[in-house]
Amino acid sequence: MTARRGFRQGLRKRFREWVNRRIPAARSVTLDQRRIFIFPSRTGLFFTICLIVMLMTAINYQNNMSYALTFLLCTLFVVAILHTYANLSGLTIRAVRATPVFPGQQSEFSIQIERGGEREHFALHVQWPDSSSGMVNLVDQDAVQVQLRVTARKRGWFSPGRLLLESTYPLGLLRCWTWVDLDLYAMVYPRPLPTDELPGFATDQPDGAAVPSVGSDDFYGFREYRHGDSLRQLYWKGLARGQGLQTKQYGAYASRSVWLDWEMFPGAGVEQRLSYLCHWVLQFEKRNEEYGLRLPGLVIEAGVGERHRDRVLQALALYGVEGRSRET
Amino acid sequence: MKPDQQISRNALVWIIISMFTLVAPHAGRIPVWVLAVYIFAAIWRIMVFQGRWSFPGRWVKAGLIVSGFAGIYFSYGSLLGLEPTIALLLTAFALKLMELNQRKDGYVLLFLAYFICITEFLFSQELPVVVYSMLNVTLVTTALIAMHRPGEHQFNRKSIRLAAVMLLQALPLMVVLFFLFPRIGPLWSVPLKSHTAKTGVSDFMKPGDISRLGKSDEVAFRVQFEGEIPPQSELYWRGLVMSKLEDGAWRSLRYYDLPPDQRRPRPVQTDGDPLLYQVILEPTQQHWLYSLRYASSPSPGVLASADYVLFSPAELEDERLYKVQTWPGAILEPTLSDWRRELELSLPSTENPRTLALARQLRAEAEDPQAYVDMVLARFTREPFTYSLNPRLLPAENATDAFMFETLTGFCEHYAAAFVLMMRAAGVPARVVAGYQGGEVNPVNRTVLVHQFDAHAWAEVWLEGRGWVRVDPTAAVSPERIEWGLERALAMEGSFLRESPLSLIRYRSVAWVNTLRLRYDALTYRWQLWVIGFDRDQQFQLLNRVFDGISVRKFVLALIGTWILVLVPIAFSLLRGRSRPAESEIQRCYLLFCDKLARAGVIRAPGETPDQFSARAVRSLRSSSGQIERITRLYGELAYRGTSERRAGASASLTELRRLVRGFHPAQG
Repeated sequence: MTARRGFRQGLRKRFREWVNRRIPAARSVTLDQRRIFIFPSRTGLFFTICLIVMLMTAINYQNNMSYALTFLLCTLFVVAILHTYANLSGLTIRAVRATPVFPGQQSEFSIQIERGGEREHFALHVQWPDSSSGMVNLVDQDAVQVQLRVTARKRGWFSPGRLLLESTYPLGLLRCWTWVDLDLYAMVYPRPLPTDELPGFATDQPDGAAVPSVGSDDFYGFREYRHGDSLRQLYWKGLARGQGLQTKQYGAYASRSVWLDWEMFPGAGVEQRLSYLCHWVLQFEKRNEEYGLRLPGLVIEAGVGERHRDRVLQALALYGVEGRSRET
Repeated sequence: MKPDQQISRNALVWIIISMFTLVAPHAGRIPVWVLAVYIFAAIWRIMVFQGRWSFPGRWVKAGLIVSGFAGIYFSYGSLLGLEPTIALLLTAFALKLMELNQRKDGYVLLFLAYFICITEFLFSQELPVVVYSMLNVTLVTTALIAMHRPGEHQFNRKSIRLAAVMLLQALPLMVVLFFLFPRIGPLWSVPLKSHTAKTGVSDFMKPGDISRLGKSDEVAFRVQFEGEIPPQSELYWRGLVMSKLEDGAWRSLRYYDLPPDQRRPRPVQTDGDPLLYQVILEPTQQHWLYSLRYASSPSPGVLASADYVLFSPAELEDERLYKVQTWPGAILEPTLSDWRRELELSLPSTENPRTLALARQLRAEAEDPQAYVDMVLARFTREPFTYSLNPRLLPAENATDAFMFETLTGFCEHYAAAFVLMMRAAGVPARVVAGYQGGEVNPVNRTVLVHQFDAHAWAEVWLEGRGWVRVDPTAAVSPERIEWGLERALAMEGSFLRESPLSLIRYRSVAWVNTLRLRYDALTYRWQLWVIGFDRDQQFQLLNRVFDGISVRKFVLALIGTWILVLVPIAFSLLRGRSRPAESEIQRCYLLFCDKLARAGVIRAPGETPDQFSARAVRSLRSSSGQIERITRLYGELAYRGTSERRAGASASLTELRRLVRGFHPAQG
């Protein structure tokens, strides 16, 4: 039993390797004969049994029209090979985007299916292993986007594997499919792990040093307007004087801005540290307080706001991740 | 339950349509209640679709299946046989429809539908049936395609186009396979058409039996002669020889009536060249094969009986082709065995005393049997006997006496029976022969068409030295019948096909109707010969001729070769996409237009848009301004349309553009 399973797994692995060589990853893939596989479906096998019964009837009754009809259905099967193949051939599958998520959440992967010519394509079924599935037609439009949700598991770049695109159109007798390796990854943040309190505020700057901060009272200086700055803090007088858009900056003391530091959690493992940091990022973001991030080899200055949070989370998500590689 | 596996409204409608076209040709063969189940199932399924009813529960389904089986058992008295099987299939089809929900149910249903298409051929393989079945196959295929088009919530006809295209593409491949696939004999015995009526002449004859056939215009068989067709009056197609008179009916000898030494036909001396012809007999569900005498057949499965008629040991359920050699002058049984003589003279002595007395009286007057035969025939001619399709009913007792002395009207079987009775009464061995007489020559393909109304009965008498001699008393009463056929013979009575007003044969005098009928019949003959009758021998001959010797390698090569020849263009046209005008073609037209303008002195500047160029050209070439503007506008439409818009009318616009550019001749300067 186990030997057989081992053999099957070995076969499966060999097949995967072969497919990897044959269909390498790309941002967009156009289907041609190198990438399309076709084989009778389970229905096709059932149909073949029906054809054999029909042939037996024709032989036993020595009935030529029964022969003719049996052969017609037989050759219809053959012609269907071309039609089923044509239904997939010439399609281009393009990676669009994948939403970043926390582990255990469903990332939404968007792909676009485009047709090359003007042929109609029906019942294109797309699915990643373990994803929701989608069924689309390309009849009146030249391209269609499909969103598929996949549950992400591990921090880092998450790839759902090879995308399966299959169709049994028009007769259901043959299954035509391809496994496309799309260069499409979802970023997976660390799993937030709560700690009761933030151990030892890391404030490496001496008291009194002013650090720009939003939402405090003391005027600090001007800087160029950046998209997202509050209108209330715009320096309207300066604008009137023709000095361009400027934002008034207010100072706060560094003690009020927090550094989230790698060294805050001595003794914890890498993933654990990242999870704690992630938790606190979300906490500060919720409280609308400034925070910065210090990881070995990476410092992100303090800030607040959605963009800042995304930057920080990205740094956490990709800490120690080398390039994009798929999990096996 | 995956939602994309559900049957769409469009697919459901197609399935229900094909379900009803499938049952239509079987309607006459199945009990009426099966049709009721059919309609009930369709209504139930539609109600389910509309959300008013729900799918039948497990117990309801089980109950329906059991009552279906029971109903068929009670309707036919058995579950075996072809008709009960088909009724079962159709009932199963209807019940499956009721629970049709998922695509996999649809597969079961539609594959069953294909099989039901085949069962129709077991009853008839004639052209109209084939055409109708092709329609059925197309509809079933349409339903199959419709099932794979998700999101079609409205009934539409798009799938039928693809179904037709795919079937047409499959057709040439099928033809090759049809002729090359080796024909082998039946693998096991199969249920027969036990419930189909027998047609044609039956193995016993009562007064009125043949005249009943005389009212039918169906074709009994078609004959093709090699060489000249013998004259009409010589076409006596023997089918049955009836030597026994029992309870007022003549019947042929059955196998167990014959002593073992009499079961085989005695050898016949033949000389000269025989008449060669082949017969295609319509299915009769009986055994006899018709031929001119003396006949022998080289075809397999054809046997000859002791009274020199051909028969098939198996019932003729389908069209049957057989070849015959006939020596018309051969002497049958120059000597009679004692058993045979006794048989052919036996008579119930108590019946018809007046006829028997007349026979003895005439025989006494005649010097030899031949003279006696002539005297009896002369009596038929002399007395006011009439030939009628609707003779008066005869009493059960002494029927021949009533016919000979009171009614004096009858159809051929009355004359034949009375004649044989008189022969036997006078000690001349005689018997009734039933079959067909005459036939219509189809000028289109020189076949002889024998209809049911050509059914005939005549007599054979045994004369010393001449063996069995054919005597037809009908010829003495109505020579027209023999020379010209039944229609002429009944011209006075006006009873020819009176009960079938729609029969095309009634309109033989209308030239175009007749031409059409005969052409169609010639087509039917060709169809029967080449398609229905295509058997192992014919296949062997054909392949031998085409391939110059039988070899499996050649067949496989031919099969692969022709398939590639058909499939490659199909693949090419499929993958290339559908008639989309190539970008370059549009550009080429426009460049040609620019060239022509350049020759006329207006040269397009680099970076000039078509509109700017057109405006400039119009200014310098006022005479052709309309053409320039039209071409520019059309080019703009073609070149800057979206891909999907382009399809609609694109090729028409391109043709228009090409035409305009070709016909564009701007005046110089």
